[in-house]
Order: sequence, then C-alpha cells, then structure tokens
Amino acid sequence: MRCDIVFGGKAGQGPNILTEVVSEGLIKKGFYVFYSRDYQSLIRGGHNFNILSFSDSPLYSNSSKIDILVCLDANTLGMHKKDLKKKGIVLKGEDENMFFAGAVYKILGIDLKILEDELRKLKNYEENIKHARKGYETERRKLKLPDLNKPIQNLSFMNGSRAISFGAVNSGLDYYYAYPMTPATPVLTELSQMQLEKNMKHKTIELENEIAVIIAGLGTSATGKNVMVGSSGGGFDLMTEGLSMAGMAEIPIVVYLSSRPGPGTGVATYTSQGELNLALYSGHGEFSRLVLAPGDPKECTELTNQAFYFSQKYRVPSLILTDKHLAEAKYLIEKSQNLLAVENSIISMERYNSYEHDENEKAIATEDKKIIKKNFERRMKKQLEINKESENFEMFKIYGKQNSKNLIIGWGSTKGAILDAVTEGKIDAKFLQILYMEPFSRKIKPILEEAKKIVIVENNSSSQLASLIAQKTGIIINDKNKILRYDGRPFFSDELAKEIKERLG
Amino acid sequence: MTKHKKVKKEKKKKIKTTKIKTKPMKTISRQHFQNIEIGLKCKRSPKVNIRTQTPSTWCPGCFNFQIMAGVQKYVESQIIAGKKREDFAIVTGIGCHAKIFDYLDLPGINSLHGRVLPTCLGIKIAKPELNVIGFSGDGDAYAEGMEHIVHNARYNSNIKYLVHNNQVFALTVAEPTPVTEKGYRDKTTPRGVKIFPLNPIKIMLASGASFVARVFADTEQVNKIFEEAFKHKGFAFIEILQPCIIFHNDAGYKERTYNLQEAGHDKINMNAAMQKAEEFDYNSKTGKIPLGIFYQKERDVFEELLRK
Repeated sequence: MRCDIVFGGKAGQGPNILTEVVSEGLIKKGFYVFYSRDYQSLIRGGHNFNILSFSDSPLYSNSSKIDILVCLDANTLGMHKKDLKKKGIVLKGEDENMFFAGAVYKILGIDLKILEDELRKLKNYEENIKHARKGYETERRKLKLPDLNKPIQNLSFMNGSRAISFGAVNSGLDYYYAYPMTPATPVLTELSQMQLEKNMKHKTIELENEIAVIIAGLGTSATGKNVMVGSSGGGFDLMTEGLSMAGMAEIPIVVYLSSRPGPGTGVATYTSQGELNLALYSGHGEFSRLVLAPGDPKECTELTNQAFYFSQKYRVPSLILTDKHLAEAKYLIEKSQNLLAVENSIISMERYNSYEHDENEKAIATEDKKIIKKNFERRMKKQLEINKESENFEMFKIYGKQNSKNLIIGWGSTKGAILDAVTEGKIDAKFLQILYMEPFSRKIKPILEEAKKIVIVENNSSSQLASLIAQKTGIIINDKNKILRYDGRPFFSDELAKEIKERLG
Repeated sequence: MTKHKKVKKEKKKKIKTTKIKTKPMKTISRQHFQNIEIGLKCKRSPKVNIRTQTPSTWCPGCFNFQIMAGVQKYVESQIIAGKKREDFAIVTGIGCHAKIFDYLDLPGINSLHGRVLPTCLGIKIAKPELNVIGFSGDGDAYAEGMEHIVHNARYNSNIKYLVHNNQVFALTVAEPTPVTEKGYRDKTTPRGVKIFPLNPIKIMLASGASFVARVFADTEQVNKIFEEAFKHKGFAFIEILQPCIIFHNDAGYKERTYNLQEAGHDKINMNAAMQKAEEFDYNSKTGKIPLGIFYQKERDVFEELLRK
C-alpha cells in the first residue's frame, strides 16, 4: 500500500511542523514514513509544500498522486488539485495548522492522545492542543488503512543533513567550517545545535567566504584536527583552490558538497545531481581524492565516516556528495552501525607547502625535475593504495532480482525512488547503486557486461554518471536508456516506474 | 659616511664567525652588503639558529634580508628565553616574501596567494597556544586577499601579520598592485597606472584592527615592532615599507620617515590614528611618512570567544 499526503501553504504557516507531527503519529501507529520538502527561496508567503508518503512496508520516495491534500491557504488547492486521486480527500479552510493535524489524525485513525503528546513538546502547546482537538472532533471522513498498532522501533527518522552531521561527529569531528548556502546549510545548523549537547567537542565556525572556509579548515587540519567544510556548488567553486592546495600540501580535509540546480545562482532551494563532474574534476593539477555519494541517511552517516577515515589515512581530500532532496527529505531508516575509528594522521603541526616541495627536506620548495617526477609518482602510488583499500567497502550495492538481465543504474538521492519504482511497479530488474564515484570499483564493469538492457536514472541533464561509466569501463549507455530529470524536482516512484518499464520494453 | 664604515667593519667580523658557505656575488652592490650585514649584525646567539640550509634566492641586496633578520632575531631570542621551535607557526602567501618559508626552520604552511590570514586563523583556532606569524606581500594582502585582512581585523585573533609592501608585484616582474602610485609604468601598463592607490593603514583602522603599525624594512625596526606586537594580545597588523631594489626602488622613503612614538602620538586615539594615516598616501613623492604604532587597543580575541 502507499498513501501520499500533501501539506501546502505559505512560508510561515507552518507546513513543516504539521508534517512532523503527522509523521510521528504514523510511525507510532506502525507505518513507514518518508517526506520531502518543496519550498521557494523566500521567508514569508509564496507556496511551500511537503509530500508525506507512508506505507505498511518500507518506502523512500513520494508518488505523484495525492490521497490527502491539506490546504493551509487558498493557492494550494488550485496548484495540486490536478494530482489528487479520484477519491482523494481535501482539507481546507481558514483554520490554524494544528486544526489540520487533528483532522488528519482522525482521517488516518491515529489516537488523538499521540498528537497531544507530540504537541506538548512544543511552545504554546495549550493553544495548539485546543486547535488539534477541534480538528479531530470536526472531521468525519476516514481513510481505509491496514490495521497496525505496533510502533516502529529501532529505526531513525532523519534527513540526510542530520545523518551527515551524525557521521562527522562520530568520526571525531573537531571543526566544521562553512558559509551558509542552501542546501548545505542544514548541516551547519545541525552541527551548530549539536555543539550545545553534552559531550560534544566539535565547534562550527562561519567565516567571510568559502575561500576562507576551506583555507582556515586546512590550517586547522594541519595542526592535527579533524575538519569538515561544507557548501553547495557556487560556494564549492570558491573552495576549489583550497581543494587543490590540500592535494599538494597533503593536508586531510573532508568536504561536504550538497548540490542544487546550477549554473550560476541556479535554483537555490531545489534539487539536482548536476555536480558530479564538479566533485570529480574540480581543482587544478592532478591529485587524488575520494568522491562518495550516499543514497539515504544511513549511507550519509557511513560514507561520512569513511570519508574521514580515508582523508586522514592517506592525507587526501574526501568529498561527500549529496543534493537538496537527500539533504532535506526525511527517511525512516536503519541506524548506522560499525563506524570506523578515525585515526588522525597528523600528531602536531608540521611544515606544509602549496609549492612543489621536497618531502624529506622540511617541505622546502623545489623546482628539481627529479623531485617533481618522484612526487607525482608517490602521489599516484597513494591513489593505487586508496583504490585497493576501498574495495573492502561497499563501493556499490545491488538490489532487486540478482539474476535479472535488466539493469537499472543510479546514484545518490535517486536511490529511494528507484527502489520504490522497482517494488511497486514489479519491475524485473536489478538495481546497481554506485556509492564510490572516485575511486570507481573495478567490479562494476562485469556487472554491466552481464546485463542485456541497461537503464540509467539521474537528476541531471547530461547523465554525468553515464559519462563516468564510459570513462571507467568503456561501456557506453545508449541515450535512449537515460532517464533524466532536470526540473529541480526529485523523481516520483510511480512516474519513474512507468519510464523504466518503457525503456526496458 | 661614518656610519657606513662602522657597519663594514662589523660585517667582516661577523662573516668569519657565522661561516657563510655561499660565495658572495662578484658584482655586489653596497645595498647588498648593507642588508646582509645588518641582518647578521644584530646580536643573535650562536646557539640558536632557525635559518635552514636552503640558499636564498632573493635578489642580492633585497630588503627581505633585513626583514628576515628582524624576525629571526625575535624568534631566536624567544627560543633562548625558553620557547620551543614548535611554539611558533609561520604562514606565507605567494610572492617574493614567501620565500622566507624556506629559510626559517619553523612549523608552518606556505599557503596560497592571498590566503595567509585564513590559514593563520585556522591554526590559531585549533592551537591558541601557538605564536602564529603571517607574512604577506602587498599583492597578497591588498589585492588577492583583501577580504581576509578586513575580516581578520574584525575577528581579532591573536595573529601577528606582516605585510612586505614593496608596492609592486615583483615576482611576476613588475606589474602594479593596489598600492602602486599613479603614473607607474611597466610592460603591462604602458600608459601608466591611472588609479590612486589604497591606503591600507586607513583600511585596517576602519576594519577594527586592534594593533596597526608601519615600519621600514630595517632589521632593528622589524625586531622592535615584533616585540611590541607580541606584547599585544590580539590581531597585530604590521606593514613594512620595503623598497624593491629591482622594480620599485624607493630607498628615498627612509629619509622621509619619522617615528610616531617619538613624536608623542596618542596611539589609543582613533581620530589621531586616522589623521596620521592620512599623512602618507602611498602616492606622493614628498612629505613625511609616519612609522611606529598608529593604533593599539586590546579587546576580546577570537579563539577565546570561541571557547566561551
């Protein structure tokens, strides 16, 4: 089963808190929940909405069709009516947002007491509870749902940003440097708030621009501290000289890159997978790096941990690549386990040089051709060691029918929609999710060679993963088999299922 | 003239004791003698020498020798007094000044062009106990890194920041910087510079730097201002007027200078500091050039506020 609820309204009307309390109720009832956020670059007004999807089995995406439409303002109905199912329920009126929470609880058959408990955690709860009760009592409609009454436990309900922060803190993060930029900002917010919790040693620091952010990060890292810096595409562009310096000076650094549609300022609050090439090829000169792309919050935590591990061990920059969808959508997902202990490779401040230098001679600048050549070879050897060690990790994952001849390839935040599309659409295919973009597992090529039909799914216009696959394996994916979405929105599972079926024929 | 003679005598004496291996160049200018000599003349203990074995590639006679000697004298005196090499961290940008990274055997980072201060800040945030010294050129500080000097003045981290201001991009062969005077010509500006130079002292005062000073590229002056800067808790901005003997030889500057402290300047008075900053506009060929501390007023430092 799947049920999708849209909460729409003006910024400031509180659709987020409404989505939260309904999600909590559903989880306590025993449903699996996923919700994504669609909001504009403004503070008050406009049209914002969240899509909450739930089911009695795990799900990680939204569908394009709406079961319940909650309209906090008049605009919402007009904008979403076309997506409403035939028997879809509409809630509208001039009421407070918690009135709608009460009403939705009634429709979904969730105990009002759960809602009241949730609301007690908030400020001014008495007023809110009053509204919620009124909504609950007024509402007469009911949705037919499986009768579950076993709260889901041992799973975390979190977005990618919180999971990244969690991964960083659990890898020994000392400092997070950033300049605010959507959609990387939630990590800055999370880590800043986490500072206030007990036993947290890390600090977050905001500096004048992203250049200062990465350079100060390198200065801090050079003293033997664990450092992460974060931004989105435009801010990351400014960081690239620092990334290159990290390559030459061999100072560890973890870079969090959360993408939104570009080029230029692009579309600030929407999603895109357009920065894969940027992550792979940015920074002048030739140097090693890791580019890791998690597909859900669990992987966000684990790959952040691995990013720290590799960055410290080999003194290379590690990039964690997400996008707005993964950064801000909330998933009900397993907790991460078996995080690696990150050992700091720098004990105390040494000498580091952005100029080519002699390793053995106090990092003194050199123009000696023998040393230049030797250093390139040494750095190249380091790359080979990284390639070798990373094969011990899950550089890719395979889902679905292992023996199917149809192969779907995806990466990052499209994972959720692909998984749901395959399950809900009963598609005969296996799904290859690539997590390590650089280094690229040598075990991927045979999987592609075995497949009869390959479909690739990406949230960008040029299919950057297909280019990477071509470069690394020599296998060219036919343009007809590329399912690309580049309107700033994530894939819906139902639409994607249809697309995949068409391409697989 | 008598001064020169005296200096020459002492130079001969010192060269014997410090055993300089590199042969002096055949055609050596008087300026060159003077610079190396003043560098060596200052009383440094033979026990501590933070100079690496790396031969210098600064031009013979470069005023960077004087600056380095001043820094060296200060750091070595601190080491003699009980500090360790590891208690210091040096950061350099890119340009002639940055070669000092190779000549001083101290921990640190030869960073990117313009990025000296963020590098210093990063080190200081993590290790407040380190004595962090940043070296920049005028291109580094006032062109590529302008945003950083303004903000670091505001942050007031306990960093000592030296700007080797020779009013020219020397290592890229003579292009004008933001502090080059109007009318200056090089191969890239055949019609001459048309824009008036910046006044960095005014910018630093306006940005909230808690210590703003200017000295001439002279060993003793550098050494003395270092002592003052290290006594100051907070961001210390020290501009060094440094003639580039190849591309911007303003040796005449030295004769125009006078010391603010000797002239009774009130260094805690912002208005007085601004007035003094106005006296030299980096453009005029005549008039007095004030040196010494323009402004000094302590306040909370960044790395301590971070831990509060």
